[in-house]
Amino acid sequence: MIFQIALIAFALFAILKTWKQYQKKEASKYWVIAFSILWTVVIIVVAVPNITSIVANAVGVGRGADVIVYSAIVILTYVVYRLMLKQQKLSAEMTDLVRAIAIQNVEKGG
Amino acid sequence: MRAVAVIACYNEEVRISASVRDALPYVSAVVVVDDGSRDQSGQRAKEAGAHVLTHIINRGQGAALQTGMDYALQVLGAEAIVHFDADGQMLGSEIPMMLEPIEKGEAEAVLGSRFLGRSAENMPAVRQMMIRLGVLFTVLLSGIRVTDTHNGFRAFSASGAKLIRITLDRMAHASEILDLIVAKRLRYVERPVTIWYSAETLGKGQSTFKAVATAIDILKKKFVG
Repeated sequence: MIFQIALIAFALFAILKTWKQYQKKEASKYWVIAFSILWTVVIIVVAVPNITSIVANAVGVGRGADVIVYSAIVILTYVVYRLMLKQQKLSAEMTDLVRAIAIQNVEKGG
Repeated sequence: MRAVAVIACYNEEVRISASVRDALPYVSAVVVVDDGSRDQSGQRAKEAGAHVLTHIINRGQGAALQTGMDYALQVLGAEAIVHFDADGQMLGSEIPMMLEPIEKGEAEAVLGSRFLGRSAENMPAVRQMMIRLGVLFTVLLSGIRVTDTHNGFRAFSASGAKLIRITLDRMAHASEILDLIVAKRLRYVERPVTIWYSAETLGKGQSTFKAVATAIDILKKKFVG
């Protein structure tokens, strides 16, 4: 019971935090909607754990907890992949910037 | 022919002057890209007569070479570009031999090789084995038939250099260049070059750990993009 309350409190905190970021224009509209949906699902699953069994039976996985673990692995793998692409893009942009500055400020010897 | 030597340089204040002076008699200009060195490399290169471009943050050898090529092509109007080293492992006197196939219109890319007869002085057996493994790895992935894949002594015609766009900032650029030569269908030849291995240059060479990181970079580029 304590675990359930703590998780729900954390989910509510996460939703609140995301909305505050949105108000400060630190997060986009889509980001805040996606995060709110995600944490709302977490609240529902924590409050009514049996609901996962319904989903598990529907998709043909044995237990509700397994559905959550499998889904989490898939989602986290995808998130890591997206972050990796984003990091590569940022790195390439940084190189372009460093290059442009270097060419602008050439020093000629001799 | 207006040939420009491009040298990527990182913390080479002791050797960079000699490298610039070694290459200068054989090219129209030497461009040194100081890749965020913490020492006086840039100043030494300038004193030796090079055009010095400074990366304010270290971006890796591949990025530095691309910066030098951009400058050589766009600002200096280079007709040929030679990749040369900063630490005295290569011989400036071999630059004309590297440029010859380009001048004759026989190739758009000339690749130096340590395994075509000339000496790779003092190359230890372990280093030789690592290089051979690297050659096998790259040949299998690129499908290019060369005897040496990670030799930094290269030359390109301007038309060839414009088609080479290095995006792998670190050491994997050597394999990327070979991939691009195949993908852009550049005519290439290999030429035997001398590489001198001193205790100092061996000390800062690629470690096994770095070699694995390089292989991961290559695979990532191939399969992830």
